[in-house]
Amino acid sequence: MSRGLSGFRAWLWQRATAVYIWLFTLYLVWHFLAAPPADVTALRAWLGGPAVWTGVAILGLALLLHAWIGVRDVLLDYVKPPRLRVALLGLVLLYLLANGLWLARVLLEVG
Amino acid sequence: MAGLMEFRIWRYDPERDARPRMESHQIETTRGMMLRDALLEIKRRDESFAFRHSCGEGVCGSDAVNVNGRNRLACITPLAELKAPVVVRPLPGRPVIRDLVVDMSRFYRQYEAVEPWLQRADPLPEKEVLQTPEERARLDGLWECILCGCCSTSCPSFWWNPDKFLGPQALLAAWRFLADSRDQAQDKRLDALDGPYKLFRCHTIMNCVDACPKHLNPTRAIGHIRELMLKKSV
Repeated sequence: MSRGLSGFRAWLWQRATAVYIWLFTLYLVWHFLAAPPADVTALRAWLGGPAVWTGVAILGLALLLHAWIGVRDVLLDYVKPPRLRVALLGLVLLYLLANGLWLARVLLEVG
Repeated sequence: MAGLMEFRIWRYDPERDARPRMESHQIETTRGMMLRDALLEIKRRDESFAFRHSCGEGVCGSDAVNVNGRNRLACITPLAELKAPVVVRPLPGRPVIRDLVVDMSRFYRQYEAVEPWLQRADPLPEKEVLQTPEERARLDGLWECILCGCCSTSCPSFWWNPDKFLGPQALLAAWRFLADSRDQAQDKRLDALDGPYKLFRCHTIMNCVDACPKHLNPTRAIGHIRELMLKKSV
């Protein structure tokens, strides 16, 4: 079977993360409709709770992984020159890494 | 349906023409006439016009062409179903040899790559390897493929990566042998299909299902292969 994050393994991770993202999004929509936080302090307190904090951290990782596999698939399909492909993959990786670091910072602030 | 019908035919001879051109023909049509009949009439008028055909009844798969933007077999496409002007082009994504004749060697190589024959580890029995009616029924919708190439040449993933992505036809054939109770090379076949390109370039676009003149469903077959990989991995 697959080595690293390609082929079957990448396909499986993309679907697994999609399911988690979908379920957690449903929870977020339900939460913000049913009991919206009154102000920023309440939002920070909600986000700082261990269950939500862990859920959002996993959501962040799932989004990054899902986006990486998806964008990499598009680049594999359409970008043929190896150097250009590596450069674009590098840019995508940097962008996702920056987003991950930003999310980590937010979570560390409220955690 | 009878009367004059306009056909716009893609013409290109790499040895003579600098670029392809569309050639217009008015053909007198008759009731029950198929596209292949119209192409034969054009061939009668101009012998230099080239297209493949053989059985004339949707069995050999030779006369696959792109008609009004859709891949079809000319011999089983009634003119009554087509909107005039009928625009006939070679199958997309394949190098053109001349006019409507394309080079299908890459397509056949991808078919060969899935090793489309029964493989057994056990010694062969005296007569045949028996199957239950249920085991045999699993092959329906798979063995009927005639290798016309309508599916693979309508698949954008095959256009982008014809050398690496096996394409819907070869993957349908792969599932035909993975699903066969007599075959004993399932693990080897699945390992060979893994990786970023051979199977997983399929993005479920489903042009293959729309194009197949035998009404087969390569997308479903590809889904079955992925399910089998999942079953084997847990």
